[in-house]
Amino acid sequence: MRISMGNRLLSVLSASTALILMAGSADAKTVVTMMHQGDPGWVKAYGDVAKRFEEANPDVDIELIYAPHDAYNEKFSAAVMSKQLPDIMELDAPFLANYVWSGYLQPIKPLVDKDLLDDMTESNIAQGTYPIDKDLYAIGLTDSSVVLYGNKKYLEAIGARIPKGVDDAWTREEFEGYLDKLSKLDGVKWPIDTFRGYGIKTEWITYAYGPLLESAGCDLIDRKTWVAGGTLDSETCVKAMTMMQDWVKKGWVVPTSSGTNQFYAEGQPAALAMGGHWFYAEASAAMKDNIVVMPLPKIGEKGVSPNGTWIWGISATAKNPEIAGKFVSFLLKDKEYRDYAKSQSAFPGLKSFAADSPLYAEGGPLAVAFEQASKTAVARPPHPAYPTLTSAFMQAVDKIFNGSDAQEALTTAAQKIDEDIEDNAGYPPFDEQQ
Amino acid sequence: MSDLALSTTAPAAIGSGKRGLRIVQFVSIFVIALVMISPLFMLLIASLKDDRFQILADMGSFRAFWVSDPTLSNYREVANFSGELAYGRYLINSLIILVMTVGTGLVVNSMAGFVLAWGTLRGKAVLLAIVVALYVIPQESIIMPLVVMMSRAGLTDTFAVQILPWVASPLYTFLFYQFFAQLPKELYEAAEMDGASTFRIYRSIFMPLSLPALATVSILMGIESWNQYLWPTLVTQTDYARPISVAIATFFGQDSIFWDRAMAASVLMMIPVLILYLAFQRWFVSSFVGSAVKG
Repeated sequence: MRISMGNRLLSVLSASTALILMAGSADAKTVVTMMHQGDPGWVKAYGDVAKRFEEANPDVDIELIYAPHDAYNEKFSAAVMSKQLPDIMELDAPFLANYVWSGYLQPIKPLVDKDLLDDMTESNIAQGTYPIDKDLYAIGLTDSSVVLYGNKKYLEAIGARIPKGVDDAWTREEFEGYLDKLSKLDGVKWPIDTFRGYGIKTEWITYAYGPLLESAGCDLIDRKTWVAGGTLDSETCVKAMTMMQDWVKKGWVVPTSSGTNQFYAEGQPAALAMGGHWFYAEASAAMKDNIVVMPLPKIGEKGVSPNGTWIWGISATAKNPEIAGKFVSFLLKDKEYRDYAKSQSAFPGLKSFAADSPLYAEGGPLAVAFEQASKTAVARPPHPAYPTLTSAFMQAVDKIFNGSDAQEALTTAAQKIDEDIEDNAGYPPFDEQQ
Repeated sequence: MSDLALSTTAPAAIGSGKRGLRIVQFVSIFVIALVMISPLFMLLIASLKDDRFQILADMGSFRAFWVSDPTLSNYREVANFSGELAYGRYLINSLIILVMTVGTGLVVNSMAGFVLAWGTLRGKAVLLAIVVALYVIPQESIIMPLVVMMSRAGLTDTFAVQILPWVASPLYTFLFYQFFAQLPKELYEAAEMDGASTFRIYRSIFMPLSLPALATVSILMGIESWNQYLWPTLVTQTDYARPISVAIATFFGQDSIFWDRAMAASVLMMIPVLILYLAFQRWFVSSFVGSAVKG
């Protein structure tokens, strides 16, 4: 009996020890946190990749932190203030300079697989590079662009020339001439949708309208001196914004109140749509073959298109940057993740992904968008003052579209941007760049 | 004769005038009700369409109020979109947060209101002024320091972090104060003479008389808690305590908006609040009417 009691005690002790050891080993797992946004499909895709990574690396636990797209910046600020930055973070490319300058990110090159670095498109490298040390701080599977979608029947009716590629894009004269003709065509309520319906709280205005200013020959800020005054409110920019204001005044542009579906809504009241690559899926679903995809028009001498999307960076405070980098590499190479991205018409940021995306391949419906990325893409100003810049520019455009004087609105915006830069002592060492 | 004529036509004129007024009243109420109900109806209709692009294409036309081929597929997808019945979990999370916030909020704010109205506290007037002053401070302005406080307290990603900061509220304390202060002084004095303690007077006499105030605060606090979005976004990280308001935001992605599922999820989110409102509607209205008359 005593022996049996002793055995029982021993077995209980052994079991307890085993449990403690197991708990110990569970505690010993390396935890890597990753903050991301995205719709349910992306959320599931990240969750599945994390599971596969954990299966391949049983000593690592990937903790996903979800933040809604519309409240991502607030969530990020909260993480910064509470000193709870995740190890890996998804970030909107134009905010990269601000994050690096603030010390939130670390160079990513030493942390991810070399074959991935070699696989990046020029535009992808540009969106993840910090201009001061020219180092790469973030990498993504995808990128983005804006193209001009056209209603085939309407364009044929006015005898419009359909550009074959980026070099062949409409000139300003052609573009405005077609807008004028379309405005008089039966069935067309608005010649173009510039997606004012996205509102002024998203990045859309700076992302999509900024390139039109750059194409006209000016910019949102002087990228050498980092001064907005004299550039954003220059005569060229004022003329370009007045041109767009004129389109609105003539009733050529779909108003904000009419939403973002007028290109393909019943009766197809908008003839053209200056939309992101993602718009193709919804437009083509409704319009089938009655849609042509064209490059953005050349407002001045050269064509300019936007780029940049949500990419992955590793925080400066990451406890295990090597493992974080290993996971980023795993994610970007994961077949199922790439398949899901492909199913969402994702714009390729890696050459191998482009080769596997028929939508963007030569002859594909969005080939012109991919061609733009290599020929005309210009990243949004990579400067720590970008959050102020984008907000000031968006407010200016909103005022101009609502009838304010373009010169006055752009000068106010330029002053706001320059004041922010001055308040931050020029964001050294950006102030030393000339 | 003319007097007689006047006496017979005058009531008829008044009668037709009253009828006219009633018609105007009816039409006005009907139009207002239509304006209020139509977005909800559109939401319900859109939730029964399974093509998100079609929903968008139908917006702005009367087709937004019509579904030719209704389906519950959006509800099924919403229920299972991130794991089996994940949405049920988000709904339960929101309910737990609501019940706990309203339950503790009623106790804390009514006690504070009672003390401010009947207590023998020194500096009561100053305290009351502070409570009113606190009400004008917008939640957004204190949200970041609050995030840091909660994070340092180790409460991130818990239910407690979504309940504790919103239990004590200057608005509801003031509402209770206003209600208690209007009750007859004799009630308090009679109970005091009978030897009832302050807590007993609060619990057994004033609280049972405060049903309208309790209903109003329950509804306002409940709706406020149910619709919280920014705060839970900042303080939740995983599914564990994530409420439905944040979960719905998942359908609004960077490049695409899943209107079909967002609409179905919104309908699901609306149901508990509607039930709450319908259950307390009588007290809610009477309380508002009462305070309007007295105010």
